[in-house]
Amino acid sequence: MGVFAITGGSSGIGAKTVELLKERGHKVINIDMKDGDICVNLANPEGRNEAIDKLHEMCPDGLDGMICNAGVSGACGNLPLIISLNYFGTVTLANGVYDLLKMKHGTCVVTTSNTISQGAGRMDYVDLLNNISDERRVLNLIKEMDSSNLSDGNSLYVSTKYALARWVRRISSSWAANGVRINAVAPGNVNTAMTATMSTSAKMALNALPIPTKYGQETLMDPEEIAEVIVFLSSPAARGVNGNVMFVDGGTDALLNSEKVY
Amino acid sequence: MRPIEKYVETMENKDFAALGNLFTDDGVLNDYCSNNSAQPEYHLYGKEAINMFFRNKFLFRRYSIADAEVVNDTQAEFIANFGGYHIMAIATVREATEDGHIVSLTVRPK
Repeated sequence: MGVFAITGGSSGIGAKTVELLKERGHKVINIDMKDGDICVNLANPEGRNEAIDKLHEMCPDGLDGMICNAGVSGACGNLPLIISLNYFGTVTLANGVYDLLKMKHGTCVVTTSNTISQGAGRMDYVDLLNNISDERRVLNLIKEMDSSNLSDGNSLYVSTKYALARWVRRISSSWAANGVRINAVAPGNVNTAMTATMSTSAKMALNALPIPTKYGQETLMDPEEIAEVIVFLSSPAARGVNGNVMFVDGGTDALLNSEKVY
Repeated sequence: MRPIEKYVETMENKDFAALGNLFTDDGVLNDYCSNNSAQPEYHLYGKEAINMFFRNKFLFRRYSIADAEVVNDTQAEFIANFGGYHIMAIATVREATEDGHIVSLTVRPK
């Protein structure tokens, strides 16, 4: 069976993905700040380099899959963390193990968000992330933003996730030509420990992003619903799928953007 | 109360549930107003879709109507506000059932 690495595998979607992969007989290496097989902070360059080095030590024959799932929400109150973990933590790690993926014709799956289609992102930041990719400069730039402002946090969050999705699309052709598929999932709002303890007004806002498959239930997506798709995209059954941003949101995107078929 | 009047009332009250229930199970709402967003038209099929869509738009203040006037048995004019972008619009109940549920309603710029 295969060898998979995953970031953010200690809770939520990541933990469920680890569980499903192990059930299918795979070996899984969890990279997480807490309870990981590799305990590092992917929000800083040292942590990313340490994770990449350890993966090379642990998997000299290559990786079958790299699942980049670690990230924080726009409500975390730490704007630099949103930039450094969500975007640079993902792209640096994926690029850092590309050689390991090539060795086994592996796959990479990146977790983005269905909010990328809802217009709240800052396209100037998306362009800076994708086209300049200078972490220090972007971090300097966001000092002008207000970390206590939820709208700023959400806008930055969406920007990082949009940039991730676009990076996946951009890199997918050359990676596939070298035997490595890369795709993204775009989950809707998911039941997690964080959403379970949210304020009533925050829950109201979440429920106003309706999930058609949960119509009338006032509930969010189950982490397993997202994890199943990640596992599928990581499997040979998805060998024809590459450069795809798959919305796993119960139909929220289709509801709000029905005219967008591509 | 005629269907067009009920439509205006539910829109003014931002009552997404009542708006959805105003339509038949497979009722359709076609909104052709260019609204300054990435998606310039809305086409909603089914009462549940209409309910969920307007729940989202009303809560996030991305849709409201103002200064509405019912102009005949099937039409009403109003200023549609798409999150701060205003359009003079006319809604038309194109088809309704005998018991007053809307089968098809269009909203177009006037």
